[in-house]
Amino acid sequence: MTDKPDLDALRSEVRAFLAAEAPAEWRDTSRTQEDFVRTQRDWFGKLVKAGYAIPHWPAAFPGGGRSLAEQKVIYEELAKADCPRLLLSFVSTYHAFATLHECASTEQQERYLPRILEGETWCQGFSEPGAGSDLAAIKTRAERKGDVYVVNGQKVWSTMAQVADKCLLLVRTSSDGPKQAGITYLLMDMQASGVTVRPIHQIQGDEEFAEIFLDNVEIPVSERVGEEGKGWAVAQATLASERGLTLMELSYRMRGALSRVAELIRDHEHEEDRGVLRDFGHLVTQVDAVCAIADQFLDNRINGIERVGDASIVKNSYSRALRAYSKLGLRLGGVEEQYIAPITFGDLNTGNWMADFMNSYAWTIAGGSEEVQRNIIAERMLDMPREPKAWVA
Amino acid sequence: MIELNELTDAAQKAFPAEALSPGRDDSWRLVTEMGWLIVRLPENAGGLGLGREASTAIHFEMGRVLATTPLIPAQLGLQAVLASSMAGRSEWVERLAGGAYAPLHLLPAALEAAGDGTLSGTIGGVFDADMAAAVVAKLPGGYALVPVNAAGVTVHERPIWDASRRLFDVVLDGYEADPALMLTDAASASALHDTLACEAHLALAADCLGAANAALDLTVEYMKMRRQFDRPIAMFQALKHRAADMKTQVAVAEALLWSGVRDAQAPVTACAAAKTLAAEVFAFVTEEAIQLHGGIGLTEEHPIHRFMKRAMLNLQLCGSPDLWNERVGREALALR
Repeated sequence: MTDKPDLDALRSEVRAFLAAEAPAEWRDTSRTQEDFVRTQRDWFGKLVKAGYAIPHWPAAFPGGGRSLAEQKVIYEELAKADCPRLLLSFVSTYHAFATLHECASTEQQERYLPRILEGETWCQGFSEPGAGSDLAAIKTRAERKGDVYVVNGQKVWSTMAQVADKCLLLVRTSSDGPKQAGITYLLMDMQASGVTVRPIHQIQGDEEFAEIFLDNVEIPVSERVGEEGKGWAVAQATLASERGLTLMELSYRMRGALSRVAELIRDHEHEEDRGVLRDFGHLVTQVDAVCAIADQFLDNRINGIERVGDASIVKNSYSRALRAYSKLGLRLGGVEEQYIAPITFGDLNTGNWMADFMNSYAWTIAGGSEEVQRNIIAERMLDMPREPKAWVA
Repeated sequence: MIELNELTDAAQKAFPAEALSPGRDDSWRLVTEMGWLIVRLPENAGGLGLGREASTAIHFEMGRVLATTPLIPAQLGLQAVLASSMAGRSEWVERLAGGAYAPLHLLPAALEAAGDGTLSGTIGGVFDADMAAAVVAKLPGGYALVPVNAAGVTVHERPIWDASRRLFDVVLDGYEADPALMLTDAASASALHDTLACEAHLALAADCLGAANAALDLTVEYMKMRRQFDRPIAMFQALKHRAADMKTQVAVAEALLWSGVRDAQAPVTACAAAKTLAAEVFAFVTEEAIQLHGGIGLTEEHPIHRFMKRAMLNLQLCGSPDLWNERVGREALALR
């Protein structure tokens, strides 16, 4: 497929920038949480300056106003150049942006959007111990007292909450009526009194997520997005903020990372092992197919012909390919991969296949589990009936 | 330029989904009339001059109805003749465009040349040789038309489980190749082979995915209708999740197929990878489909078994998954 001339121009422009500015040794400078955060902040700053950090924002912002086709070009080039993914600023530039842009007051937008470009980071306070796939079951309470809400409860799975400045917070202001109806959306300062963050040690030794404990935290009413009790609709805007670009970028990165599997095959002298070659060929095809569907999904969005459920298909096929990729690497790497080695934070390629394999679970569980996606595909694409709601223990 | 959806609509009208595996001879007349034999033939050679997308859309629809008519080997045979420098080329092109049948074989030929140059052995994987005028076969001296009524040529049908198709061995016993019917010499045979292989793989992938979609549709429909424990079985997550996985795999294989179709430079391994994935997905979908149909899926009273039988044959055509996965792996290793 050939791009339009303006896209070609953008592509060369991005390539030239990346040739000069892409951080070369970023994996070596992302081996501790501290280093990772510093590397991420540096790279985000450079991309903001160059005008490639927020292509999906409105044109009023420098580097904004890019079409989806242009965004695709930028992400393709970032993936091909093997640059760090913008993980630390992801919630800020996508989730916080979409929420503020679509649902917040002008005053809130003017206060927070410019600060994101200066490096202020956001986290998401949605999930709770009792509200995962069933998000509307949240129990964190907010009681209005004069000009503030007093919030008590617990949030979990908040990405990078330990370094975040602000939090997109879902709270319950009423227990009457359907569970979606009593939810309110607040913007919380992570430095506020009563906020405690406890990082979660993941099975691969990362601390990508954290728990947030809220103990009589006072949040001004002026920090509410939308009306009281109408937070569920705002949350939908947050969750719908990023559909497609990330998975396309990740699929392309996985295709690039197949060279790591090829390296293992050579290092272990499997070049003539037909079984290994078959497994590798099968994986190559699976990854190519995921790239093809991620690409097609974005093209359909660009052309306005996306269908309900398409995103679920892309997510489930990516996460299964990632599992297969990391499992083949783990198998071929042998016992060496069982020794703990320094790993790169926040990368498809941590440098250790065991860690990569464990990381792959993030994609079948987080962001709407594989099973939730299957329900969407079955019920909304194949028109199969939902299970009855009532359940008596 | 005919739009793809017009072709698809026309195909669905001519071959409605309710009528699985319509009669072969009537179907052959119909595809001839509709110009599908010559869909890829350039306009200056009397064809429709359409590209890969058009033939892919047609093969997809033919897979959907488990077509009995051997359109894929016919188109490939015609392409081979067209690519040749044979003296009688235009007469043959005209004959084949008009409905004469010269299929390309889709399984290997095992032939030996005797001291006098005559050939003996078997050309495998010839569809519907009973209606063929000749077979386009890869002989030791290059691609050639082998007339089925020539001296030293016999055809043997070998009954197959897939009732939607008929497969023959063309057996040569001291056959003397006619120099006037040679399509290539030995040296240029591999270039033609690569061209035909790409087309064959993409066409078969489309056949697989059209049929996989139909099998999935039938299964989903059955799951919504079949009631147990006072509810449609489609309501059970344990079952609906399997349908969701079938849908997911079909969609992914389709995306790879179309990316291959639209890339004129796609190498043989890329086209073969698309076919391998499509055939594996088709097989997976039909295996699941029979299980999800329960007892009725094991009977001839329900058509779902026919899809599984076609899937298992498709896996073996133009090289098995083992063969191609290994080649794809080998090539990817060399490139990375």
